[in-house]
Amino acid sequence: MSLKAIKGDEHTINYGTLRALVVDDYPGMRSALKLTLSNFGISRIDLAGSAAEVIFKVGNNHYDLILCDFNLGEGRDGQQLLEELRHRGLIKLETVFVMVTAESVYEKVVATAELAPDDYMIKPFSAEVMRNRLETILMRKLAFAKVYQHFEAHELDLALLACDALIRDYPRYLVDALRFKGEVLNTMGRFDEAEALYRQVISLRAIPWARLGLAKALHHQKKDEEAEELLHDVMEKTPEMVSAYDLLAEVRLNQNDSAGAQEALLKGVSISAKTVRRQQKLGDIAHERGDLDIARNAYSAVLEKGQHSVFVSPADFGNLCRVQVDQGDVGAAMDTLKRNRSLLGSSPEGQLVSAVVQSLAHTKAGKPEEAKKALEEANRLRRGVQRIDERIMLDMAGAFMTHGQHAEADAIVSEVARNAHDSETLLAKARKLYEESGRGEAGNKVLSEATADVRKLNNDSVILAHKGDYKGASEKLLTACRVAPFNTRILMNTIWVLIKRLHSDGMDHELLDEAIRLLGEVEKQSPGHARLVDLKSKLRDVEHHFGIRRKAP
Amino acid sequence: MKFDNLDLYAALMHELKNNLGLLIMTLDTIPVQGHPDHDQPLDEARLLSQRSVERLQQALLIYKADSGELHPVVDAYAPVEMLRELRDTAQSLARDRLHVDTLVGDQVPTLWFFDRSLVEMALINAIHNSLAHSRSRLRIEADMVDGCLAYTVRDDSAGYPDHILAYGSGGSGHGSAGTGLGLRFARLIAEAHDNNGRHGELRLFNEEGAVFRFLLP
Repeated sequence: MSLKAIKGDEHTINYGTLRALVVDDYPGMRSALKLTLSNFGISRIDLAGSAAEVIFKVGNNHYDLILCDFNLGEGRDGQQLLEELRHRGLIKLETVFVMVTAESVYEKVVATAELAPDDYMIKPFSAEVMRNRLETILMRKLAFAKVYQHFEAHELDLALLACDALIRDYPRYLVDALRFKGEVLNTMGRFDEAEALYRQVISLRAIPWARLGLAKALHHQKKDEEAEELLHDVMEKTPEMVSAYDLLAEVRLNQNDSAGAQEALLKGVSISAKTVRRQQKLGDIAHERGDLDIARNAYSAVLEKGQHSVFVSPADFGNLCRVQVDQGDVGAAMDTLKRNRSLLGSSPEGQLVSAVVQSLAHTKAGKPEEAKKALEEANRLRRGVQRIDERIMLDMAGAFMTHGQHAEADAIVSEVARNAHDSETLLAKARKLYEESGRGEAGNKVLSEATADVRKLNNDSVILAHKGDYKGASEKLLTACRVAPFNTRILMNTIWVLIKRLHSDGMDHELLDEAIRLLGEVEKQSPGHARLVDLKSKLRDVEHHFGIRRKAP
Repeated sequence: MKFDNLDLYAALMHELKNNLGLLIMTLDTIPVQGHPDHDQPLDEARLLSQRSVERLQQALLIYKADSGELHPVVDAYAPVEMLRELRDTAQSLARDRLHVDTLVGDQVPTLWFFDRSLVEMALINAIHNSLAHSRSRLRIEADMVDGCLAYTVRDDSAGYPDHILAYGSGGSGHGSAGTGLGLRFARLIAEAHDNNGRHGELRLFNEEGAVFRFLLP
C-alpha cells in the first residue's frame, strides 16, 4: 500500500465576487452565519428572517449562494421555500442553495427530498467544514455549467450530451451527472432509458434517489407492481424519503386503489406535514372517498401551512369550506370565510369562491333566500374571473339546480365538461349533481354533447397526425382550443402537432407564435405539468432547426 | 408533571445541542492573540463545547437506534474531500498544540458510498479523543483495507487501555468513563452501513499510539 499526502486546496474560489443571502428566523444565527461568510471574503451578504422576505429579495437580486435554515419558525420551512423558489424559477440551477438543519429527522427529510438542496449542513458546524462544503459545491457548479445552461434554455438533448461528457471525463462527477441525466430522461418521457440508467446506478450501489427514480420510470411504463414493490423496500430502508409516499400514492391511484393512495399520503404527511401539495392531494383523495374528517384536516393544513405560498389559491378555501358544509358544519365554513375575508376579498376569484361557499352554506342552513342572493352575486362575479376552479364551477351548477335554474346549471356543466373531457373524476361529479336533482337523463345528454365535439376533434387529429397530415391535425386541434380554452390536454396536443407541422411543412411564424402562446397558457393553467419541459424542449429544437434565436422564457 | 416521555428528553437534548452550537459559533469569532494566557483557555473552551455537542449528538443517535430509526442515507461522496474536511476541522481545533497530517492511499477510488453525516460524526469523535490524549501529533488516513474504504485516525498517545481494545475486537465497552459512549456510537454507525450483506466495522488497536480504524463496505 502506498500513502500520499493530500494536496491543499487545489481550487480556490474567488469569494469576493459572490453575493450571498443568509436565511434564518433567529437573528443571532443570522449574524453568526454572516460573520462566517464574510471571513471567507464574501462582502455582499444580505439577510432574511422569513420565507416571504426571501421571495422578495430573490425577486430583486441575483444571488450566487443561499444559506437557509430548515426551520423558519411559523409558516413555511426551508424545504418548502426551496421548492417554491425552483418552481417559480426564481433561482437558477447555478445558484448554490445550502440547507442548514438542526433536527435529526428533518435532516434526513432534506437529504432525501426529490428537490434536494445542493447540500445540507447539520448544526453546529465549524467554519472550516462550511468552507470545504462551499468549495466542493462551487466546483461542481462550474463543472455542470454547460449542463445547466442547456437545461435552462430547454435544450434537453444538449443537456443530456453535456451530462454524457461529464460521465465520460470526470469520474468525480459520475454519480451526480447520472442523477441529473436520469431526471432529464424521466422529464422527457424517455422512461425506458431512465430505467436502464437507474439500474446501472443501483448496480453500483442501491442509492435511495436511484431507487426512487427507477420506481418513477417503472410507474410511467405502467409497470406498477414492480414499482410498488420497489417503493416498499425504499420506505423500509429510507423511511424519511417522503417523495416515495407521494409516488406510491400515484401508483395506487393508477391501479384504482384510492384507499391505498390515501394511506400512503397519510404516512407522508406524518413525516413532513408542511408540504402544501401533498396535503392538497390527500384532501382531494379523502374527499372523493367521503372520508370527510381526513379531508378537512388536510385542507385545513393546506391553508395553515401554505400562508403566502404560491401553491395556495382561493380554490383551496373553497375545498375546505365544501368539506365543512358537507359535514353539516355551516358555522365552521362561515368562520373560514370570515377569518380570511381580506385575503379572499382582494381578488375576483377569491370573491367568487366566497360567494359560492355562502350560497352552499345558506342552503344547508335552510335559508334559501339568502342562498339565492349569494348565488346571484357569484354569477355576477363569474364574468370577471378568467379561469375558475372546476370544483367551484360545479358547486355553482349544483346551486343553480337547487334553485331550479337548470339552463344556467347546464351551461356551467357544459363548460366544465368541454374543458375536462377526459377527467373521469369531474365528469362523475357532474353526473352525481344531476342525479341528486333528479335529472340524470338530462345530465347525461349535457355531458355527452359537451364532450363529443372536443373528443371528436381530438381523435380525428390523432388519426390525421398518424397519417402525417399535420396541417389537417393542427386545424382540428386549433378549433378544439377555441371551444375548450382551458383544456390543458387539448392545448398540449395542439402544441405538439404544431411543432410536427413546422418540422414537416417548413417555418410559419404565425403558427410558431401560436404554439408559444399556447405554451404560455398551459404554463399559467398547470404550472409544473410533467409534459411542459418536454414540449418546451421540442419547441426549442424547431426554432434551432430554422435558425430562430429567442431568449428562453 | 412527570417527565417520563423519552421524546421530551430528545427535544431537550436538541435544544441544548443547538444552544451549544451557537456558543461554538460565538467562540469561533474570538480572534487568537498569540498569548497562551488568552489562547489556551479559548482552545480548551472550543474543544470542550465541541465534545459536549458531540455527546448530545451521540446520545440522540443512540436513542434513535434504540427505537429502530437509524437508517444511513447512502450517497456518493469523494473520500478525499471528506479527508480534507476532517483535516481542516482537526487543524482548527489543534491550532499549534499538535501537528496534524493527512494521507491518502493510491487505491482509494474517486467516489465511495456512505452516509456522510453519520460517518463524519464518528470520525470527528475519534479526532476529538486523539486531540485530548495525543502528545504531539495526529494523523488521519484514507485507504483501502480488506476491500473497504478505511478511515484511520492515529495519534502518539499512550494508546487504548485493555478494556477498550477488548471492545474494539467485539467486546462491550460499557462502564469506561467517557469513551464508552463514543465508541459504541462509532460501531453502531459502522455496522449500520451494509453493502450486499457486508457490514462496516470498527477496529481499535495500538501501534505508536492509539489507532482508530473505521471500515466502510
